[in-house]
Amino acid sequence: MSVPLSQMWAVASYVLGQRLRGRRRYPLVLMLEPLFRCNLACAGCGKIQYPPQILRKHLSVEQCLAAVEECGAPMVSIPGGEPLMYPEIGRLVRELVLRRKYVYLCTNALLLGQKLAEGLFEPSRYLSFSVHMDGLREEHDEAVCRAGVWDDAVAGIREALRRGFRVTTNTTLFEGANPLRMREFFDAMMDLGVEGMMISPGYSYSKAPDQEHFLRRRRAHELFARMLANPSRRWKFNQSPLFLQFLMGKQDFECTPWGNPTYNMFGWQRPCYLLQEGYASSFAELMETTRWEQYGRRSGNEKCRDCMVHCGYEPTAVHHAFASWRGLRDTVVATVTGRL
Amino acid sequence: MPDETTLEGWAPEIGGGLTLAEVVERAFDYRGNVTVVRTDGAEVEGYLFNRAREVPAPFVQMYDRNGDGPLTILYAEIRAIRFTGKDMAAGNSYAAWLRARDAAKTTSGAPPAAGA
Repeated sequence: MSVPLSQMWAVASYVLGQRLRGRRRYPLVLMLEPLFRCNLACAGCGKIQYPPQILRKHLSVEQCLAAVEECGAPMVSIPGGEPLMYPEIGRLVRELVLRRKYVYLCTNALLLGQKLAEGLFEPSRYLSFSVHMDGLREEHDEAVCRAGVWDDAVAGIREALRRGFRVTTNTTLFEGANPLRMREFFDAMMDLGVEGMMISPGYSYSKAPDQEHFLRRRRAHELFARMLANPSRRWKFNQSPLFLQFLMGKQDFECTPWGNPTYNMFGWQRPCYLLQEGYASSFAELMETTRWEQYGRRSGNEKCRDCMVHCGYEPTAVHHAFASWRGLRDTVVATVTGRL
Repeated sequence: MPDETTLEGWAPEIGGGLTLAEVVERAFDYRGNVTVVRTDGAEVEGYLFNRAREVPAPFVQMYDRNGDGPLTILYAEIRAIRFTGKDMAAGNSYAAWLRARDAAKTTSGAPPAAGA
């Protein structure tokens, strides 16, 4: 685990506070999508297929901050679209840092060097660039459907690290991923000097161009079990070790769809970051009127059957760590020993 | 979405086995602009991003072609919906990209842009 102690403490005290208040459902990470526009068109992405007038639009900083306040989650992830194309990304991040929110700015890093040179950001323990890296050069460039992106992303990572920023990577895996190549990739990212890595199987967006290469549950367990077997001591993951164990088939978790609520120009997305079944006009309406029992694997919902994506299961893993002594013990042991 | 399932150009007749609620669901799922024809004959073209079915007065929400909105239109005010805009999720399949990539590799060694 590579999450800084201050962040661990902030999350732990938040979760314990929610539990002490008896709140059964609470958000952990706000997924804030200020825009859908992107400078890539990756085959596995279902986020950007909109008419031009929608792609031209974006939220105002004030709308973003109101959503952050309303939600109250201690962490804010800014995906998109490509957030570095958001005209006010510098001001948005500054405001979030002022509010002591832990910000993960999810970027393909194509514009990262340019934005850093413009002085848009300042290093902070609250800000991490979470760079999209779907493997080594060949695999990544194929996943993003453009040659040269891996090299640009590595250059962006190097520049951010040189300037003292926190940098993590986020990796989505699809059918056909090679465990040995992924282990080489983990080594390569550690050699680069990133703080930690995040990995997750992809979700089969109904709108994604690629429908044939999404991992089914059993195959996903096999893949992650091979990929993470006897993990190198050098590898640092910026996510719960229990979630990694879940990916390997060592933990049986249910989805927590309200754990990472999503806000964008359409409102609060029901029920989660991945499914688009409608929008609520407020966070309270989302939480109170969504029929949560219709989602998650045990619900029998076909759309949830094979989903193992971090936005639904990482909140479960974090909750599990604080819900029982066994969960806490498993988390501490995996964190201290590095064994999964 | 496979190219052959796109609703682009569809102008369904409501009634005769197809309800307004069913057409609204298709429009909500459609990643392109639609034209909503109101009962008074007025038309609004734009992206239909939301609908609420299980409320006392069901409604849809849209951003128009200029991105203005959201506009709220009650189901009771809708006469028809036509799928007039380009389906942004169609015609850009992964299989097509793989074919184009393989073709490009044999010529230049560089993969094509997505959607090629």
